[in-house]
Amino acid sequence: MLQVKNIEKYYGSKNNVTKALDRVSFDVEREEFIAIMGASGSGKTTLLNCISTIDTISAGDILLDGEKISELPAGELARFRRERLGFVFQDFNLLDTLTVEENIGLALSLNHADAAGVKGRVREIAGKLGITDILGKFPYQISGGQKQRAACARAMVAGQSLLLADEPTGALDSKASKNLLEIMTQMNRDLGATILMVTHDAYSASYAKRVLFLKDGRIFNELLRGERPRPAFYHEILDVLATLGGDISDVI
Amino acid sequence: MTLSELSLRNAKRQAADYLVYFVTIIMAAALLYAFNGLVFSGEIRELYSMMSSLPMAIVPASIVVVCIFGWLVSYAANFMLTRRSRELGTYILIGLENRQVARLFFLENLAVGGCALVLGLLIGNLLFQALRAMILALFEMPYVFSLAVSLPAAGLTLAYFLLIYLLALYKSRKRIREMKIYDLIYFDRQNEEAVIRTGRNRRRMFALSIVFGIVGTFLLMIGNLLLGIIGAGCVIFFLYGFFLTFASGVPAFFEKHPAGKYRGQNLLVFRTLTAKLGTMGMVMATISLLLTATLIALGTGLVFRGIFDGRAAEHACFDLYIGAGEKGRPVDQAYLDYIEGNIPVEQSLTYEVRLHENNGVRQYLDDCGIEYFYTYRQDPVIRYSDYAALRAVAGYPAAKMEPGQYLIHCIPYLSEPLEDFRQPITAGGRMLAPGGVYTEHLIQRYAADNGQGYILVVPDEAAAGCALLHHAYAAKTVRPVGEEQVEELFRISNRIAERERGDTYDSDDYDTVYASVYEEKTAAYMTALTVLPLYYLALALTMTAATILTIQQLGESRHYRRQFALLDKMGMDAGEMAKALRTQFAIYYAMPAVPPLLIGIPFILNLAKQPEPEIMVGLSSPAAIVAIALGVFFLVYAVYIGVAYISLKKNVLPER
Repeated sequence: MLQVKNIEKYYGSKNNVTKALDRVSFDVEREEFIAIMGASGSGKTTLLNCISTIDTISAGDILLDGEKISELPAGELARFRRERLGFVFQDFNLLDTLTVEENIGLALSLNHADAAGVKGRVREIAGKLGITDILGKFPYQISGGQKQRAACARAMVAGQSLLLADEPTGALDSKASKNLLEIMTQMNRDLGATILMVTHDAYSASYAKRVLFLKDGRIFNELLRGERPRPAFYHEILDVLATLGGDISDVI
Repeated sequence: MTLSELSLRNAKRQAADYLVYFVTIIMAAALLYAFNGLVFSGEIRELYSMMSSLPMAIVPASIVVVCIFGWLVSYAANFMLTRRSRELGTYILIGLENRQVARLFFLENLAVGGCALVLGLLIGNLLFQALRAMILALFEMPYVFSLAVSLPAAGLTLAYFLLIYLLALYKSRKRIREMKIYDLIYFDRQNEEAVIRTGRNRRRMFALSIVFGIVGTFLLMIGNLLLGIIGAGCVIFFLYGFFLTFASGVPAFFEKHPAGKYRGQNLLVFRTLTAKLGTMGMVMATISLLLTATLIALGTGLVFRGIFDGRAAEHACFDLYIGAGEKGRPVDQAYLDYIEGNIPVEQSLTYEVRLHENNGVRQYLDDCGIEYFYTYRQDPVIRYSDYAALRAVAGYPAAKMEPGQYLIHCIPYLSEPLEDFRQPITAGGRMLAPGGVYTEHLIQRYAADNGQGYILVVPDEAAAGCALLHHAYAAKTVRPVGEEQVEELFRISNRIAERERGDTYDSDDYDTVYASVYEEKTAAYMTALTVLPLYYLALALTMTAATILTIQQLGESRHYRRQFALLDKMGMDAGEMAKALRTQFAIYYAMPAVPPLLIGIPFILNLAKQPEPEIMVGLSSPAAIVAIALGVFFLVYAVYIGVAYISLKKNVLPER
């Protein structure tokens, strides 16, 4: 579904170039749940930003369903983002002035969906994510976990094919984190969502089917969960992180 | 770092956020100084004896302006306190005392006020020159540019400013001193709890306020005074009701029409507005009232200017005119003796205004439904020879009249219907055909004038059979008649009135005395006395209202930036984002401006028609006055909207 081919990303001027991504390549299959891990400054968020077209790449190609997204013009990029991508951010990024229902409906509204059907579609996805009873509330009236579930609903309601999550559990307590990760697993398993999640938390990453490790802008390692139970996968992730060196205290 | 250095650095950092506020405060100081300059100007006082009463109009206006700016400064200080509460709370957290933080805030605002005052005085001096030039032009006196600073005016401005600032800052100082760290750090969250209330009563009030708004506007449009007052009351109820309940009314509306909510940019636009009005409904309603007062002040100023200009134009056509009030009594010899001894005359004329036996023209005008002032119904008549001489005295070109014709001379206001009046009249047993209509000013308003609204010019022999209305005297003088001389003629008029009638009073029986220079000066004085303070108020009101709206709007830049950054990520088109921002912006500024239009336009139209409709022509016609008032109103408002929009667009929309 998503092909990342040899992408590079440089920052800075001629004399002071920082390589944020260095020949990164990987594929994401439909209905996959991938976590990208790495310490601070390893290039995780840059990678996510490049895939989400918020940032541009310096070299290489990114293809979504065979379409080179790095070559799309600005207008097409906006359309691409609203039709194909869903976002979940660490700090929720819900609009304070909109109710939960409206925040979710906004994604449909941006896609010029049939206005009369918006409410029904919002209720449907909210039901699946267990947030029906808070639809009438404003973001400041609900908990962090509820906010993040609302963000997940917004990321999927318009039928977006790829959900990009940037540290989705970063601002949540452990109980809310667990709850959210289970919801995301459910979205992936039952609703067929393809998820690409950036995290530096091994526990969160252990919910994915595959984990990519980034170090200094390069893919350092890759772990597949396979049929292993989640706790075992979690320990395996920790082992890899230990070999990444020096960052263990950052990543747990 | 000392407290004052910290304060200075904060003031600098805040400067960009509050530039609009700072500019308004500078303009406030400039306005106050310029008008104080008029109060203390000896030159202006000496223009005309009555100009010494100008301070009586300016000072009360200044007091109102000080109150308005006081509210603005108090509002802005409170707004800044809210926005910076976390920062101020942090100072207390790291060990500063409340007292010190309050002092910091106080010093910072005082520094802003002090700079504004100094800059304001500089600009104010230029503004004073502009006002001086305007007043001198009104009196047709030469203007010479001067940069002399008026110390008393500067002193009074300083006193006004101290009053404005000390009261506003005392309030916020007291507030900071009494606040706990928690309150300061979480001050900005206090609003969030009460952003949107959605009670059923509020929704009912919202619906009711809209009904009141419609009914009120309708009543205002009718033009009846009592209904107009009730209408204005309804619109004020609508204002507060609407703005206070908008935040719950609109969601309720969309609850019933969910499809509309998600159409286009409706959701973003209305939710942003409801959130804003949820916290500033009262302020918005007050701003709307301020703007209403602005429009009314502008319109009223223009109506006054129209009246004084119109009167002056009509009354100042002869260097000197005396109309004998009482029927049959000739122009009193006392006048003529005084004129002969004191006023060199180039050309003069004593003549009679007569009354036709019929009232065909008056009836025709009545049938046309035209409103103008008159006290007798019959058509006034003048002999052609007198009329021709009168035109020569006024300096008008000769008017031709063929034998068997009559002419109509009327005020410009009546020219249109009278040009359509094609009926012959009978005078002195002769049938006369219409020969034309002349509309130069000829003093045609009151009983002792040359007709009321119009006069029929008939051949001399045809006028002989008409009854006498009054005698009159008109003169072209060698030099303009002086103020003293006019006052002496007034004294003569009063003596005659006392001699003839004792204590009984009938305004129609009074002699009328008009001297062109005196009339023009009176008009200039009246204009300066009424229009200047009204425009002064209007300017202060609009500036205050627009500044508060703009501070609020720009203060939300960060919120908007976050919102549009998210929408950009979610794939909203750049064009759609710009459109959403524009719509949000347009509605935000239009909302408080709509009620003033609903109240202001009917009010100004009626006011312009009421007192002396016959002189409200041309640029003083009701429609022109409304157009000019709206033009001036939106010009000032548009400057603020433009600045806010450019600044917001630059700061808020994601860069490409």
